[in-house]
Amino acid sequence: MEKQTPIIVTENVKKTYEDNGVEVRAVRGVDLTISAGEFTAIVGPSGSGKTTFLNIISGLDTLTSGRVVLNGKPLSDIKGSELSDFRRDHIGFIFQAYNLIPVLTVEENVEYIMLLQGVPKAERHKRVMEILADVGLREYAQRLPAKLSGGQQQRVAVARAMVSNPDLILADEPTANLDSKTGSELLDMMKELNEKKGMTFLFSTHDEMIMKRARRVITLKDGIVAADVLKK
Amino acid sequence: MWFYIKLAWRNIFRNKRRTIITSIAIGIGLASLIFTAALMEGMINNMIQSATSSFLGQAQVHGGDFRETQDVEKTVNNLGQVTAELKQDPLVTNYTLRTLSMGMIASPANLNAALLVGVEPGNERFLSKIADTLQKGSFFDGANPRDMVIGSKLAEDLEVSPGDRVVATVSQAKTGDLAQEMFRISGIYQFGIKEMDSGMAFIRLKKAQQMLGIGDRVHQIAIKFKDLKTADMPGISFWKKYSRFDNEAVPWTILLPQMKAVLGMVDISLLIMAVILGCVVVFGIINSLFMSLYERMFEFAIMRAVGTRPAGLRKLIVLEAGALAVISIILGSALGMILTLIFAHSGIDYRGIEFAGTTFHELIYPVMNKWHYVVFPVGVLFFTMLVAIYPAWVAGRLRIATALRKSL
Repeated sequence: MEKQTPIIVTENVKKTYEDNGVEVRAVRGVDLTISAGEFTAIVGPSGSGKTTFLNIISGLDTLTSGRVVLNGKPLSDIKGSELSDFRRDHIGFIFQAYNLIPVLTVEENVEYIMLLQGVPKAERHKRVMEILADVGLREYAQRLPAKLSGGQQQRVAVARAMVSNPDLILADEPTANLDSKTGSELLDMMKELNEKKGMTFLFSTHDEMIMKRARRVITLKDGIVAADVLKK
Repeated sequence: MWFYIKLAWRNIFRNKRRTIITSIAIGIGLASLIFTAALMEGMINNMIQSATSSFLGQAQVHGGDFRETQDVEKTVNNLGQVTAELKQDPLVTNYTLRTLSMGMIASPANLNAALLVGVEPGNERFLSKIADTLQKGSFFDGANPRDMVIGSKLAEDLEVSPGDRVVATVSQAKTGDLAQEMFRISGIYQFGIKEMDSGMAFIRLKKAQQMLGIGDRVHQIAIKFKDLKTADMPGISFWKKYSRFDNEAVPWTILLPQMKAVLGMVDISLLIMAVILGCVVVFGIINSLFMSLYERMFEFAIMRAVGTRPAGLRKLIVLEAGALAVISIILGSALGMILTLIFAHSGIDYRGIEFAGTTFHELIYPVMNKWHYVVFPVGVLFFTMLVAIYPAWVAGRLRIATALRKSL
């Protein structure tokens, strides 16, 4: 199932920022290659640089030095609105909570990225309904996020992340706000979609449920890769 | 674009209380502006009516440079042809002939200088309100050629009442010889305008022409138009037509430059008020938008993360401001209309108050002008969206990673 085509290649990525006047060296030189189809978790304690690293490889944050190549394209070559378009077309995001636009229905939230891409309405509707069926929320299409449970909201976020078939899905602590049963169900669903559709998932987490399901676990400690384990 | 409009519209109802409070604040500003403009227009109309219908007329024809020299020899040229044309003119509803000369009026008790005006009593009723403001006596009832109607203050100075006799002295045209005639006070008027009440006296036109030795000639033709606005149309051919034969046809705007200046001042006052209210509106909107912006930093960061361009966020903020403006405009226009309708029906009583040399004789009725409901709301919409550019710019510069980190 796993392909060997590299989706992300990072070379000596470093990130330093100031927080209340204190210099924080969040990432201190990370070299990694993530291949297409992986279901990988980046783990580590709080402050180990997981989220910062995810932000850097997705272009949400700038790096201090080093190089990130996403799908063969160096991120440093992409500027301004192009970077927004690049994220829209190549990366799906799932955050730990409040992922959705509260005033949009489930259908509208999921179709949002396709709307930005200029996909025709009929095509959008078809794809939204398909993906909502995949995450088991087809009948909730017209509901507002506030009318859904936390687990259902995260499923909608997964649907939104996947609907435009991105090269990579980045999930930052997606189960952090869910109870263990709901979190487990969500992860099973993501794993199934990874296997069925071959999408690349990269998690930032310290949730053991994710570590258990991930085929590769990269441990970050003090901003550097402390361990990189590929399960058999 | 439609999607952003939909999103903006829904977003402003997320915090209904804030939206309603902000909209009411902007709406009250707009309503005040609409009502003030309506009131000003009503007041201006009232002032123009008062000024032009008291005595002046809406336009006048004089001979040559009579206005500057007040020389009694400078009469209207080709009077017969001019009056024949005025009679046929579709713009004109009435006109009257007058002579004007400075003279002295003496009573047994006192002596006063006054402007002696020769009038046609029948026509004068259509052009001036002298007959309507009589305090005592009558306005040239009967056919006595020696009737004189004077202002209340002049009567007080001369210590005369209706029935008393006075002697008027004027300087005759050409010769400059003095001509004296005795008159009987037939009426006393009170306009409320100091100059008219203390310095004018009216006699019959024929008698005035005879005293001045000018035959059938006159110094002034006062004109009333079918539409008051005609006087404020300098481009029409009317003015040229009646300025032939070395005559001069002028509208009230030239005859009463101080009134025109007052009207200009009213416009400036309205502009100043619009600017002040505009500032209130601007800060209200900026405050509301920034509160909304800071509350939704995480949401904006998510939107940016999933691919919304900075321009998309900016567009959303400006459209949210626009949506807020639309609600405010509906509220403000409705409130402005209700206020205007109420006072346009009941009127506002400023009667007896003198302003810029004009006394309000009638109630002021605010004017319902459709342009007030176009210009001001469009202005509010435009400025609201204009001031939204700043918060929109701030939103567009959002640092996604920082917003995500700080908002959680």
